[in-house]
Amino acid sequence: MTTTRVLLVDDEVEFLEPIAARLARRGLECTSVTSGEQALAALAQAPYDCAIVDVRMPDMDGLELLRRMRRMWPQVSVILLTGHASIELGVKGMELGAFEYLLKPIEIDDLVDTVLRAARPR
Amino acid sequence: MRDGPGRPYRRLRRQMLAALIAVGLLPLATVAGASLVAFQREIDARTRGGLEAIVKNRKATVELFLDEKLRQLQLCATSLPVAELSQPGVLEVLRREMQRERGGIIDLGLIGEDGRHLAYVGPYDLAGLDYRGAPWFHEVMVQGRYESDVFLGFRRFPHMVMAVKKREAGKDYVLRATIDTDLLSALVREGGLESGADVFVLNRAGEYQTQYSREHRLMEKADTGPIPVHSGVRLVATSRAGHVEHVATAWLRGHAWTVVGRQAAPGPWAIAGAQPTLLWLMALLLVAVVGLAFLIVRHRLRQFRGLEADHAALLEATAQSQKMAAIGRMAASVAHEINNPLAIIDAQVGVLTDALTDGADPPSRDELRDRLRRVAGQVQRGREVTHRLLGFSRRVGPSVEPVAVEEALDQTIGFVQQGDTSDRVKLVRHYAPEVPLIRSSLAQMQQVFLNLINNALDAIGEEGEVHLFVERSGLGVEVRIQDNGPGIAPTDLNRIFEPFFSNKSGTKTHSGLGLAICRDLMRSLNGRIDVSSTVGKGTTFSLWFPPEVPGD
Repeated sequence: MTTTRVLLVDDEVEFLEPIAARLARRGLECTSVTSGEQALAALAQAPYDCAIVDVRMPDMDGLELLRRMRRMWPQVSVILLTGHASIELGVKGMELGAFEYLLKPIEIDDLVDTVLRAARPR
Repeated sequence: MRDGPGRPYRRLRRQMLAALIAVGLLPLATVAGASLVAFQREIDARTRGGLEAIVKNRKATVELFLDEKLRQLQLCATSLPVAELSQPGVLEVLRREMQRERGGIIDLGLIGEDGRHLAYVGPYDLAGLDYRGAPWFHEVMVQGRYESDVFLGFRRFPHMVMAVKKREAGKDYVLRATIDTDLLSALVREGGLESGADVFVLNRAGEYQTQYSREHRLMEKADTGPIPVHSGVRLVATSRAGHVEHVATAWLRGHAWTVVGRQAAPGPWAIAGAQPTLLWLMALLLVAVVGLAFLIVRHRLRQFRGLEADHAALLEATAQSQKMAAIGRMAASVAHEINNPLAIIDAQVGVLTDALTDGADPPSRDELRDRLRRVAGQVQRGREVTHRLLGFSRRVGPSVEPVAVEEALDQTIGFVQQGDTSDRVKLVRHYAPEVPLIRSSLAQMQQVFLNLINNALDAIGEEGEVHLFVERSGLGVEVRIQDNGPGIAPTDLNRIFEPFFSNKSGTKTHSGLGLAICRDLMRSLNGRIDVSSTVGKGTTFSLWFPPEVPGD
């Protein structure tokens, strides 16, 4: 069984590190980047099964990244992370083709479960 | 806007009432006026008809009276010879006989061709008079008869002279009588006249020939003036003492006297008074119109008030919804700012929990300490958010002291430059000489400067300039903080002082409270804060501080 490769995108480094640690402990292979640009660069370099993307980011926000990913790497599923205050952004993301959206703070088991479902070949 | 609702309404009420009553009364007044005119015409016609009849009737009466006297005199003159007429006893019998008739004869005399009395019976001593040169004597000799005007004799009662010629044996004689005309006045007035009506007889000179009221003084000129000779009955309307008067005149046969009847035309009020039903109807309509006007105005004003109340309620609701929207934005902002540290704390706690439950790869002491420190850092971050929020809602008023604005600004710049060592950012000072000291709160003033300078530095990025101006303005001091950053869009410009509004993006956390706090602080300092901005050129915040802030 091959490991599931996950790309983590969030402008908060403080948030990326512990989440990546928790996902790694659950057997997922994580790459963390802090902006949409970096995410696009990472996607161009290596294959990923799934991306976890924060909706609120400066410069290129999560929805913009989602749009570009749907166009360039449609095989990579996108899971959006959003605060309670911006649920509507999550809903909009679903319309744009996100696999799922989750609310921060995240229940780690939900996240892992969603990642595994998203990474399953369709 | 609702503190004086009575004042504008009172004027509106007056205007509406006036308009409604005017509109309502116009047809009423028209009908009343038209009716009055019609009534006046009818009454005038009736008055003129009545006057004409009276004058005709009185003319006949007076003519009958005079004819009768003349006929009696002529009868005496023709039926008796001079021999008998010249005997006073015979004359006395005749006089008594004629006195029995209405309008008695006072004296009777027979006068010869020489103008001297042949015989005379009566109360006057006329026996010795010579009438040969008198105009009336001459007239009798020529015309065969004579009627004088009325005059007052020695005894102050009205009478007239009537004379006829008698011819016997080639000689002319004159039978002359003095006739009491007191009766004539009674005859002319008799038969009851309407109030305001008057009938009298005038001679050719326009002098009263009959006397009834005090107004008619025999032999005096009437105010009608001489009446021109005409045939039949003449009706004219004249003005007398400010009132319209109808005057009917008819000349007697021979055109010596004229009968005059006159009656004042009733005025509009007299006519209206004569139509009580109409008057009541008008009064009723008047009351109805005024009452209706009041009712309509009351109803309309109530509607207006209702509309105004609705309008006010709508405004209030709008303001409320804007407030709610602002609260909503604030809630979203706060939720976002609190949620992020919470998510991080949650993740850190999760990592530690994982390590404890798993046990396979226990964290080192350093890692443990590091993670706990990060958790504490996020807690601090959340605390700052709540502090900012609290600071915005509750601020203490610091003490007022003499402040040199340039020094206050310099201190703030020093504080800013400690935090930002980049020397590529240029702060350019433009301080005018002799800026006055003012009494203000240094702490609050510096908080405003700090906020605005930080904003300006954020706006210009790494290569820009911030210009600081201080100068006297009026009695106070003006400070301008001008950057050459990207500027603020006009649509955002009027929202930037709103709490939690922020157009900043970047990794720094922004509460969106900075400018709202500045506005609040400037308000508490009795100053002003204004902003002008051009997209692509930069933004200038202008602050004005008064010479003194009332306070402790």
